[in-house]
Amino acid sequence: MLHVELVLQGLVNGSMYAVVAIGLTLIYGLLRILHVAHAGLYTLGAYITVLTTNATGSLALGILAAMLVVGLCGMLVYRLLYEPMLERPPYVALIASIGLFICMEESYRIVFGPYGSSFDMPRLGERIALGPISIAAADAAMLVGAIVLLTGLAMLMRRTRFGVAWRATVTDPAMARSFGIDTIKVRYVNFFIASVFAAAAGSLVAVLNNLVEPTMGSVPSYKSLAIIVLGGLGQVGGTLAAALLLGVIEAYGTIYAGAYLDRDAIAFIFLIVVLMIRPQGLFARGS
Amino acid sequence: MGAYELTLVAVVSINVMLALGLNLITGFCGQVSLGHAAFFGTGAYAAALMAAAGWPLPVVLVAGGVTAAVLGLLVGFTSLRVREDFLAITTMGVGFVFVGFVRKQGWLGAEMGLTNIPDHGLGDIGFILMCLGLVAAMAAISAHIKRSWLGFGFAAVADDEATARTLGINVPLYKLAAFVIGTFLAGVAGAVYVYFTRFIIPGAFGFTVSISILSMVIVGGVGSLWGVIVAAVLLTLLPEFSRVINDYKLLLYGALIVLTMRFAPDGLAGIVTSLSRRLRRSET
Amino acid sequence: MTTPLLQVDAVTVHFGGITALERVGFSLVAGELLGLIGPNGAGKTTLLRAIIGVVAPDEGRVHLAGRDITTLSTDARARLGLALTHQIVRPFRSMSVIDNVVLAAGHAKTGSLLKAVAAVGRVAEERRAGELLALVGIADFAQANPAALPLGALKRLEVARALAIDPKVLLLDEPLAGLNSVEAERLAETLVRLNAGGITMILIEHNLAKVAEVCARLVVLDNGRKIADGATRETLADPAVVAAYIGKEAADART
Repeated sequence: MLHVELVLQGLVNGSMYAVVAIGLTLIYGLLRILHVAHAGLYTLGAYITVLTTNATGSLALGILAAMLVVGLCGMLVYRLLYEPMLERPPYVALIASIGLFICMEESYRIVFGPYGSSFDMPRLGERIALGPISIAAADAAMLVGAIVLLTGLAMLMRRTRFGVAWRATVTDPAMARSFGIDTIKVRYVNFFIASVFAAAAGSLVAVLNNLVEPTMGSVPSYKSLAIIVLGGLGQVGGTLAAALLLGVIEAYGTIYAGAYLDRDAIAFIFLIVVLMIRPQGLFARGS
Repeated sequence: MGAYELTLVAVVSINVMLALGLNLITGFCGQVSLGHAAFFGTGAYAAALMAAAGWPLPVVLVAGGVTAAVLGLLVGFTSLRVREDFLAITTMGVGFVFVGFVRKQGWLGAEMGLTNIPDHGLGDIGFILMCLGLVAAMAAISAHIKRSWLGFGFAAVADDEATARTLGINVPLYKLAAFVIGTFLAGVAGAVYVYFTRFIIPGAFGFTVSISILSMVIVGGVGSLWGVIVAAVLLTLLPEFSRVINDYKLLLYGALIVLTMRFAPDGLAGIVTSLSRRLRRSET
Repeated sequence: MTTPLLQVDAVTVHFGGITALERVGFSLVAGELLGLIGPNGAGKTTLLRAIIGVVAPDEGRVHLAGRDITTLSTDARARLGLALTHQIVRPFRSMSVIDNVVLAAGHAKTGSLLKAVAAVGRVAEERRAGELLALVGIADFAQANPAALPLGALKRLEVARALAIDPKVLLLDEPLAGLNSVEAERLAETLVRLNAGGITMILIEHNLAKVAEVCARLVVLDNGRKIADGATRETLADPAVVAAYIGKEAADART
C-alpha cells in the first residue's frame, strides 16, 4: 500500500508541476526565454482566487477572475520586459525574469501580508474511497483539474488555428509569416495561455492546501525550470513526462533519501546529471 | 569607530569579495553563474570545521578558498558542457543542491548549523584591517588579471568561444581558470564570514544570496572592476542606512536587476562611460 | 619527394542525413597557394572547417607536418600553425579592430595559462597588429568598433587577425568576396606576396578568373566529392569540372 500512496502522492505533486511547467515550456519553445517570473503569476492567480472567492462566495468566479487577470498580466510582462530583450543573449531575459520574480514575491508580502490567506469555507477534508485505496478529495481535485487543463491544452494545440499557428511559428517563424500568420499575435496569445495555466495551477494549489502565501511560487519556479530542461525544452509531451516522473521520484526520495538530501534538491541533482549526459535534455529529440 | 561601524565594514568587505569573485567568472569570462553562494558556503563550512579543529587563521582562510575552488573546478567542468542560459540554471541547481545537502548533514550541524567557532584573536581593529587587506588584495588580483593576457583571453572567450579557439586560445582551460580563481575568492570570503559571525546556518548561503551578489555585479556593470566594487558597497550599505530600505531590501535588489537588464545593460560603469563621453563631446 | 605540409585523407562529414563531404583527400606542399573551388554547396567551407577542427569528420585523417591532428581541438591546431578566416565575418564585437588583431598576435602568451597570467605588456603585439592592419589596408579603422565597419573592412580584418597567429597554413574562406574590385585586387596581391614569403595557403574563391590568376593548382569539389586536382589551366579545362559548373548554372538558370 505504501507504494500506491507514494505514487499517488507523487502524481498529485507532479500534476501541479506539470500545469506550471507547461506554460514555461510554451514560452521557451516560442521565444527561448526562461520565464522564472511565471511562478510569480502563479502566486498571483492563487491570491486572486482566494480573495475573489471570499468576496463573492463563488469558487468558479474566483478561478475565472484569476485566469483572466493573470493572463493579461502575462501579456503585460512580455510587452514591457521581454519584447525589448529578444535580440540580446538569452541569459539577459533569464536574469531580468529572476529580478521580476523577486519583486513580485516581495510585493505580495507587502500587499497581502507575510502570513498567507485561506478560503473562508472549510477545506476539502474528506477522503474518497476507490476500492482498496482512498484518496483525499483535495488531491483528487488537483489530479482531475490538471487532467482537464492538460487535455484542454492538447485540444487547443491540435484542433485550433492558434495551435497550428503556434507550431508553425516555433518551427520556422519566417515561413509562418509568409503563410500569413501574425507571429507577433502568436507571442501575445502564447503568453496569455501560458499565464492562464499558471493562474489555474495557483487556484488548484490554493484549493489543495487551503493556503496561499507570498513565497508559494519559490519552489515551483526554479523546479519547473529543471522540469522543462529535463523535458527537452519546448517539448510539451516531454515536459509532462518529466513533471510526473519528478513528482513520483520526489515522493520516493523523501522516504528513502530524506536523511541525506532535502526533497527540493532532488530535482536539481537530476537536472545537473541529465545536462551533463545529454545537454539537450532527457526527452529531447535527437538533433 | 564603534562596534556597529566595524560590523558594517566587515559585511561590506565580505560582499565586495564575493562580487569580485563572481565578476571574474561572469564579468571577465562571460560564464553566467547563479550559484555563487554555494562556493561562499563551501568555504564557510570548510573554514568552520578547520577553525573548530584548532587550525590557525591563515591556514583556515586558505583552506576555505581551496575547498571552494575544488567545487568551483567541478562546476567549471559543467560550463564546458552547457552554455549561457543552460549554464545559468545548472549553477542555480548547484546552489539548491548545496543547501539541500548541508541541511541534512549531521556533521555539519544540519539546520542548526555550526556554532563552536573560536575567536580570530586579532581584536576588532585587527580583524577589520585583515578584511580591508583581503579586499585590497582581491581587487589587485582582479585588476592584474584584467590587464594581463589572461584577462584579454577571458574577454575573447566571453565574446565568441569558437573564434577564440581558432586563435589558439584553449577555451576550456580559460573557463576552468575563471571558475577556480573566482570561487577561491568566494571561499576566502566564506572563511572571513565564519570568523565574523562565529555561527553559520545553511540558510545563509541560499539562492537569494547568490542573486544579491549577482545584482551587485550587474548593477555595477558586468566586467567593470570599480563599478562592481561601488555597487557592492552601495547595495550593502543602503539597507543599513534606512529601516525602510532594509524592510524592502529584496524588492530593491530585484527592481535594480530588472531595471539594469532592461535599460542599462552595462550597469553603473556603462552609464558613467556614456555620460563622460557625452560630456567630452559637448566640450569640444 | 618532401613530406606534405598538410595532408587530408578520405575525410567524410555527415550533417544529420546529409553527406557534406565524402572521402575527400589531397595534400599540400609547403609554399603552395591552392585554390579550392566548386559550385555552391560543394562542401568547400566544410572542408576548411574540418581541417581546422571546427567540424569533426566522421571518417578520415588530417596531418600537419607529418603529425596526425585529427583528434586535436581547434585551439591546439591553431597553436600548431593553422589559421582560418571566416566567410561570414566573426570579429570580437566587444573589442576595437586593432585589439582583435593584438589578441591574435599574442598567441604565444595566450597559448599557455601561466604565460597569460604573468604577461601584461602589449607593445610588441600592438606594433605587429598595426603592421598587419596596414598590410590589409584598414589601418585607418584601428581604433573603431567592428560594428561600425563596412563588410569589406571586416573581411580584411579576418585576414589580418588570421595572419597575426603566424600560421604555417592559412585557410582563406572567400576573403575577397564583399570587397570592391580595387580592394580585392590589392588584397589578392598581398596574399600572393605573403605566399611568396613562405605562408602556405588554401583559398576559396568564386571568381574563377581571379583564382586562375593567383593559384597554380586547384582542387575542385562538387556535391561533397573531389572531382579534380591539378594544375590550374588543365583543371579548369577538365570536362568534369566544366560539367559541374555548367550543369549547376544551367540548373540555376532554369529556376
